[in-house]
Amino acid sequence: MICDTPSTTALELSLSEISALTTRAIRGAGRDWGAAEEGANAACWLARAGLDWASLLLAVLDGPGKGTDCPLRIGMKIADHALLPDSLSRPETSCHKLTAPGFLLPFAAQVADRTATAVVLDWDNTRAALVPGCPPAVSGTTATRPRADVTITSAPAELFERADWPDHHHGLVSAAQYARLTLLVAAFTVPSSTLSQAGAGANEEDND
Amino acid sequence: MSCAGLNPVPQASAFRRGPDEVMRLARMGCSHPTRLSFLRQFLRRIKAENWQFDRPLWQIDAQGTGCAVYRLTGPVRSYSLVAFAHDLPAEARSDRVIATAWDATFALFDGTPTPEDIDRLAANVPRQEAGRISPRELSLSRANRSVRVFDHVVARLAEGRQPDAAMLLETGYLMRTTAVYGSGKFGAADRAAIAGRPELSAPFQAEMMSVWLTRAFTVDLVEHLAHMRGGDRATRLAPELRRGLGVGNSTGLGMAPFVIRHPVLLNNWMLAREEALARVRSQPCVGRPEYDGFLNALHLAQENARLWHSAHGVQLVKLAELRDSLAQIMDHALHAWDRQSAHPWDDLWHWGQDALQLEGQEALLAAMLEPHGALIDGLGDCMDADEDAFFAIDGAMTIGELRAILTSRYAWALDVDFTARHHSARFWYVSEDKLEPRLGERYHEPGASRELPLDVARQAAGLWAALSDEPDDLPVAHVLLAHPEFRPILRRAQIAARHPFAEIRDNLIAADMLPIDILRCKLAFFGASRFDPRSDRWVRISLFQGAPYPDEMAEAAHDL
Repeated sequence: MICDTPSTTALELSLSEISALTTRAIRGAGRDWGAAEEGANAACWLARAGLDWASLLLAVLDGPGKGTDCPLRIGMKIADHALLPDSLSRPETSCHKLTAPGFLLPFAAQVADRTATAVVLDWDNTRAALVPGCPPAVSGTTATRPRADVTITSAPAELFERADWPDHHHGLVSAAQYARLTLLVAAFTVPSSTLSQAGAGANEEDND
Repeated sequence: MSCAGLNPVPQASAFRRGPDEVMRLARMGCSHPTRLSFLRQFLRRIKAENWQFDRPLWQIDAQGTGCAVYRLTGPVRSYSLVAFAHDLPAEARSDRVIATAWDATFALFDGTPTPEDIDRLAANVPRQEAGRISPRELSLSRANRSVRVFDHVVARLAEGRQPDAAMLLETGYLMRTTAVYGSGKFGAADRAAIAGRPELSAPFQAEMMSVWLTRAFTVDLVEHLAHMRGGDRATRLAPELRRGLGVGNSTGLGMAPFVIRHPVLLNNWMLAREEALARVRSQPCVGRPEYDGFLNALHLAQENARLWHSAHGVQLVKLAELRDSLAQIMDHALHAWDRQSAHPWDDLWHWGQDALQLEGQEALLAAMLEPHGALIDGLGDCMDADEDAFFAIDGAMTIGELRAILTSRYAWALDVDFTARHHSARFWYVSEDKLEPRLGERYHEPGASRELPLDVARQAAGLWAALSDEPDDLPVAHVLLAHPEFRPILRRAQIAARHPFAEIRDNLIAADMLPIDILRCKLAFFGASRFDPRSDRWVRISLFQGAPYPDEMAEAAHDL
C-alpha cells in the first residue's frame, strides 16, 4: 500500500513500492501472475536505470497483452530463449509494431547477462545498448510513441564502454499515472468479508 | 551472501537434518528463538562495536505528548529513533491495521535529524500509512499502551512505590508495536540501499534497532509521567523490573506471505540454523563451559516457559508439552546423558528425537546452540539474500531436469488431490480496504479468481501434470510459451533446486493449515518470545524482554 488518500501531486516511490504497485496493477489489468512478476521486475529495472517506468508500463497495459506487439510478452520470450538456438537476438531479428519498445530493455538486459554479450535495440531514431551488468546506454528517447519496429542484434560486449548504475532510482510517478495504476490495483483486490475478518484481530477493543 | 566459502566444519554435513523433516509446518510452528535470531545478532554487534547511546531531545509534556530522539552511534554511522507521543482516546485504541491513531509513532532516521527533519517527520509519522517518509528514514512504526500496566506503573512510581512485579511479568511490556514497516515502505529507504552496511546487512536489523530504542522510550515515558504527577515523591523503575519489560507486538496474517514470497531468504535462515545444529551435533566432546552453558540455557528456557501464558487452545497444548519436555531434557542432561561418547551432542539429539514432542525437540535445538557461539555465530553472516540474482528463469533447462527438481523438491505436493475441498479450502488474497493479505474460504466466499500465487503445492502439482506428455529434452522456454501460467512455480522450482530449504513443504491452502505456524517460525528468527496466539491468524509476542537497555550496554555481558 502506498498511500491511503488519492494524491493530487506527483509521488516519489521507493523501489519496493514500485514493485508492489506494479505487480498488483499488472495483475489487475488481467495479465497472469508470471507477467505481473516479470513486468514489476522490469519496472524496477527501468527505475534503477533512471527511465520513466510508469509511462512505459501504462503504455504496455493499454494494449491487449496477447499479441506479438506487447513488449512484456515478447520480453519474457527473448529472455527465456536467451541461451537457445532460436534466440531472438542472434544474429538479428525484428519485432514489428511493438508498443512502448523501451519496456523491452530490461529483458534485453537479461539476454545480455545470460549470453555475456551486448544486445542492441534499434527503433526509429533510438538506439539502446545493453552491456552485461550495466545500465542501458541510450541515444535518442525511450519515451512512448506510436508503435515502432524494433531490431535486436547482439555484439561483443568489449565494443561498448561500461557504465555505472545511477546512485538514485527514478521513483517519480505523476498523480494521474498513480491514479491509473491504483485503479488497476483495485481490480485485483477482494473486499474483506466478515468471515475473513473474524479472528484477524481483537474482536473487542485493545485497551488491555 | 553465500555460505559456500565459510564452512570451517566440513564434518557437520553428516549431521544435517533434511528439508523434508525441517520444512513442515507442524515443526516450523514449534520454532524457538536461538542465538542466531536477528535480535541477538543485533545486540551482540552493538556490544562488540561499543556503540554509544544518547537522547539528544526530550520534549514530552506533563500529559505525555511531544517528541523525543534516541540516538545510537557506531564506528561509522549513527541512527536516531524519532518518537512522537500522543494523547489517544481509549475508544481509538486498536492494534488492527485498520487503526488511524496510536499512543506513539516512530521513525528510524539515518543519522541525526535536524529540526527541519523533525518538523517533516512530525507532519507525516503520526499519520503512519496516510503519510510519507523519505529515503532518510529506515523504518516507520507505531505502538499502543498496555493500558492496565502502563497506568499502574505510572501511578505506583508517582507514589514513590514500585509496581506489582507479578502484573509486570504477566504482560511483559508497557507498549506493543502494531506495525514496524521497513524496506522502502511508505517512501523509506529501500533494503538494497542499506544492505551493504555491515551493521544492517543481517535481516531486519533496522527494525530491531527501532524496537530496542522504542523499549527505552516506553520506560522513559512512564518515569517521566510519574515524575510529572508525583514530583519529588516519584521514583524510578527498579532495575530488575525494568529489565523484565520488553516491547510487545501484535502481528497478523501480513507476515505469513512474506515468508512464502522470499524463498531464497527463507532458505538462508533455515540453512544457517540447520548448519549450526549440525556443527554442534558433530562435536566430539562436551567441554565444561559448554555443558554449563547448556544447563543454564535449559534453566532460562524453563523459567521462560513458566512465565509464558496463552489462552489459545493450540498454544496451551504446546506450552504443556514444552514444560514437560524441558523437565525431561534437564533430567536427562543431569542424570543420563553419556558425555564421553564419540558424539555426545548427537547422542543427546537422537535421544530427544525419540523422547520428546516437536515442541521439546525444537527447544532442545535452541538450548544446544546456546553455548556454542564461537562455533556458530559466524553463520549469522549467511542469513541475508541477494534475491535478484535468482529472479531470471533459465529457459534452457530441459523438461527432464525440471521433472527431476519437482520429484526431489516437491514430491510432498505432487500426489495431493486438489479437487478435494479440504485440500483447496482456502485462498490468499489482498484486501480492498487496506491492501493487506487475507485468507479466504474458497467455497464460502467470493474472490478466489483474484487469488495470490501462494498455493505453491497446487501449482507444483499442476506443473507436474502439464509436463506429463512433454519430451525430456524440450527446453522449459517452450513450455512457458504454451503455459505462461506456470511461470511463477517454474521460477520457484529453479530456486528450490539450488536452495533446499526454500519451500514450506505443506499445503498452504488446506482447510487445516494454521497461519500461526508460519508466524511463529518467522518470529522465532526475529528473536521473539512469549508467542501468544489470539486466533489461528494473529498473535502477540514480546521482544527484548530480559535484554539490556542501551544505557546498560557498557556493563552488559559480551555473549548476548
